[in-house]
Amino acid sequence: MSASVEQPPQGAPALRLHRQLVKIWATGPGWQRLAAVNHSVIGLRMVITSFVFFAIGGILGMLTRVQLATPNGDFMDAETYNQVFTMHGSMMLFLFAIPMVESFAVYLTPKILGTRDFAFPRLTAYGYWCYLLGGTILTVSLIARVAPDSGWFMYTPLSSNVYTPGVNADVWLLGVTFVEISALSLAMEIVVSVLKMRAPGMSLDRMPIFGWYILVTAMMMIVAFPPLILGSILLEIERAFGLPFFDPTRGGSALLWQHLFWLFGHPDVYIIFLPMAGALSTMIPVFANRPLVGYRAIVVAIIALAFLSFGIWVHHMFTVGIPHLALAFFSAGSAIVAVPTAVQFFAWLATLAHGKPRWDLPMLYIFGFFFVFTAGGLTGVMLAIVPFDWQAHDTYFIVAHMHYVVAGALAFPMMAGFYYWLPLLTGRTAAYRLAVPAFWLIFIGFNLTFFMMHLTGLLGMPRRVFTYNGDEGWDWLNLLSSVGSFVMTIGFGMAVIDIIVQLRFGRRVRRNPWNATTLEWAMPMPPAPYAFASIPRLGPGKEQAAPGQLALSLARGEGYLGFARNGWQETLGVHMTSGEPDQVIVLPQPTYLPLVTALFTGAAVLAMLFKLYLLSLAMALVTIGLFVLAGQRAGLGRDYGPLPIGHGASVPPHTEVASAPPWLALICVLVADGTLFTSLVFGTFYLWIAAPHWPANLAPEASRVLALGVIVALVIAAVAARGSLRATSAGARAQGWIGLAVIALLAAIAAAVGLIGSVTPHPHQHALGATAAALIGFVALHAGIGLLFLISNLLRIHAGFISPRRLTDLRLSRLWLDYTTVTGIIALGLVLALPALVATLGARP
Amino acid sequence: MNGRAVPPRRLWLLAAGFLVWCSALVVLYALHAIGCAFGWQAGALRWSLAIVLFVHLIVIAWMWRHLATARPEPKLGQAAVFLQTVVVWTLIAALVATVITFAPSLVLKTCI
Ligand code: HEM
Ligand SMILES: [Cu+2]
Repeated sequence: MSASVEQPPQGAPALRLHRQLVKIWATGPGWQRLAAVNHSVIGLRMVITSFVFFAIGGILGMLTRVQLATPNGDFMDAETYNQVFTMHGSMMLFLFAIPMVESFAVYLTPKILGTRDFAFPRLTAYGYWCYLLGGTILTVSLIARVAPDSGWFMYTPLSSNVYTPGVNADVWLLGVTFVEISALSLAMEIVVSVLKMRAPGMSLDRMPIFGWYILVTAMMMIVAFPPLILGSILLEIERAFGLPFFDPTRGGSALLWQHLFWLFGHPDVYIIFLPMAGALSTMIPVFANRPLVGYRAIVVAIIALAFLSFGIWVHHMFTVGIPHLALAFFSAGSAIVAVPTAVQFFAWLATLAHGKPRWDLPMLYIFGFFFVFTAGGLTGVMLAIVPFDWQAHDTYFIVAHMHYVVAGALAFPMMAGFYYWLPLLTGRTAAYRLAVPAFWLIFIGFNLTFFMMHLTGLLGMPRRVFTYNGDEGWDWLNLLSSVGSFVMTIGFGMAVIDIIVQLRFGRRVRRNPWNATTLEWAMPMPPAPYAFASIPRLGPGKEQAAPGQLALSLARGEGYLGFARNGWQETLGVHMTSGEPDQVIVLPQPTYLPLVTALFTGAAVLAMLFKLYLLSLAMALVTIGLFVLAGQRAGLGRDYGPLPIGHGASVPPHTEVASAPPWLALICVLVADGTLFTSLVFGTFYLWIAAPHWPANLAPEASRVLALGVIVALVIAAVAARGSLRATSAGARAQGWIGLAVIALLAAIAAAVGLIGSVTPHPHQHALGATAAALIGFVALHAGIGLLFLISNLLRIHAGFISPRRLTDLRLSRLWLDYTTVTGIIALGLVLALPALVATLGARP
Repeated sequence: MNGRAVPPRRLWLLAAGFLVWCSALVVLYALHAIGCAFGWQAGALRWSLAIVLFVHLIVIAWMWRHLATARPEPKLGQAAVFLQTVVVWTLIAALVATVITFAPSLVLKTCI
């Protein structure tokens, strides 16, 4: 994490360039480390943090195995056991698996794509701090013995007020949402960076396959997290304020939670798997000594996988009483989702079969992956068959399946990736003495632990029991499982020691120890803060340059941007498909702002947890203010026109082009937000048709006048935003237009608040009123965020950041207001249609 | 320079086939739920499901035909060829997936 690079690149020009760039890019020493925004620094911190949570989660898992090793165990009581297994699952999935794959993505993606950093370094830092704080809240709750205890999927009604009156469930809802917001922000920046920030000449067909995997994964995250975030918000609102979304006695539905959870939950397993598959697709060709077989087929397969994984969430709900015909959709979908995975498998096997494979440590783990993941995939297909699932559901068979797939998809490829990329981080190679026995202990221990669970499951042992009697015939199998878990833990312990030994005593290597072909090896090891001293050019005839040689020429500044200018952190933005440079992206310097913003966000979460709602609101407002402040510091204060980037080319800075990163980022935000909105609309219809207690006589009376008022005001705001854009590009003043938009938005918010007040039945009484209030609240919230956009516009016009050439800010506001208007019309239309919808319920048989 | 590149807008085509598959999932699932909740006649429900399914199949098939016959402009280079191949194969995959996942709506008992 230190700024100094021990190994200066060779040659005088290289050294001079290195010094110049380090001065610009390095994170300062001491406390200034807290201001770090560099992807290498943050990526490394994420790796380490996620491993700390892996260790804590692992200890919790061991505790459950101690308890279950023998019948009638009295190591823990039922209360404690519930907290322990819930936190084990929640930590492993939310605090280890997702952040860990993201940390790989953060650390490696810019390097593999040949660029110097991500598009929004301050967001990377904010995402990290949110993750750390959210994880800390969860961990502390464990120490305080108020940890969540309703299972990692928090099913209602167990997790609702009636059955979990303490804060346990709130800790989960708030802590996990906090962590997810961080995951979501990282996902957005990954999408923008992969599409816009690659080495010049890296057209989409030349992009390393890792880039495709990461791109698809990040897009999946953008669509998968919002349903769970919505579910968590609604459940927290129910718990805190009594709006009955999930309470069947007041027109809610407990199953709505399951739908929202698994709409996230199933795609999530592929979100974990795909980046690791990307790592495998990167490593396997290196060890097979030949290019990857079937690049195009893999791209098709991962796109198919991404979509199919969204259409099979109901396989977690086969036993809840859904009609068979609908179950068949999800059963068939679950079975064919194995096909794209198989395509990748065969591509990997073909690569190995056609190459001259070389045996090395990562390959050992890759073998482990093939073995374990195949077994897990097969039990998955068994479970996809409805009648089998009815037998196995909620037994230890499920626990066996999911550990086989998660360990196969995550743990083994991760260890392979670790051993593969550690030399890049440290400049040293592994000392194999401990690594090989460690692998075998992990592999044998893992299979011993979890294979037995298939059998206990088939013998009828339900999951989540804290003890058993001893006359069921499960004793030996459970004992073996527990022994296996200790063997596995010893293996992981040895692997950790091995890695520490490597850090201290590993043999030093210079460049590209594995003979890889990807660009992360075309730089000094360990990487300098600027990653590439100059940016490589790819293209016809350039593919064959070995990264080792390329590194020397790049260090001498022979690529693009091989110089320092104005003290700017510069990198190149490229055309999305062709990869030709089209802008110079000037990145922000290290700043404490992300840390401070995350602290206030955390304060808002904590205040909410302690039911100090006004304080929480105040903290949330400060957080928002800090975001506006962050916006004030972005961009360039004047027009520059095209800037030279080397090799005789010149491109304008990102502030002066239409396809700047913030524009794409807002599109990603809107896709995520649109998914949340769609989930809310889905929830409304779901409750309408499936929830009990929706009698026809409950027809709500929303005020049409107010609803129309909101819509008209939103339309005016959207039109005014267009006016401001037109005025500015014509060189005229835009403040009048923006003022008009502000007034219109204020009117819209006032009308929406009035509308919420007039909702009948009262939101506390019935889910009908509660969903209507949620829909209107959504509109008001978005109008409020629109106000922030406009305020930021006014401030930035004043500060000179906006000119006829630098219009991005105003275009962002226009897009946001257009979106607010469209969703507003849909939401209010639905609210107005609710009485008619409810009336049709009378026609039900 | 940008005149010689595949417009970024076309990247949406990578998602086109499976977006239709998603649409089929949502519409069929919702239609089935509504039909069962309101006690539609089995025949009427079956026909509505079948029609919705076929409309989706036709949309994907039409896109496939349309895109598979369009030769990529040579001046757009390798990236255009690559994108076209990938798009066409995602369409084929989406078509097959649509048939397999939603065929049960043609054969199974409707509302148990
Ligand atoms: C062909 C692929 C797969 C199929 C068909 C499949 C199918 C299923 C089914 C039907 C269940 C629910 C069983 C029940 O609760 O009754 C399930 C559970 C689970 N699967 Fe898979 N699966 C597949 C791949 C994966 C992968 C790749 C992962 C992770 C990387 C995964 C992770 C999980 C997890 C975590 C659960 C348990 C959720 C819980 O706590 O209830 N699955 N799987
Ligand atoms: Cu699943």
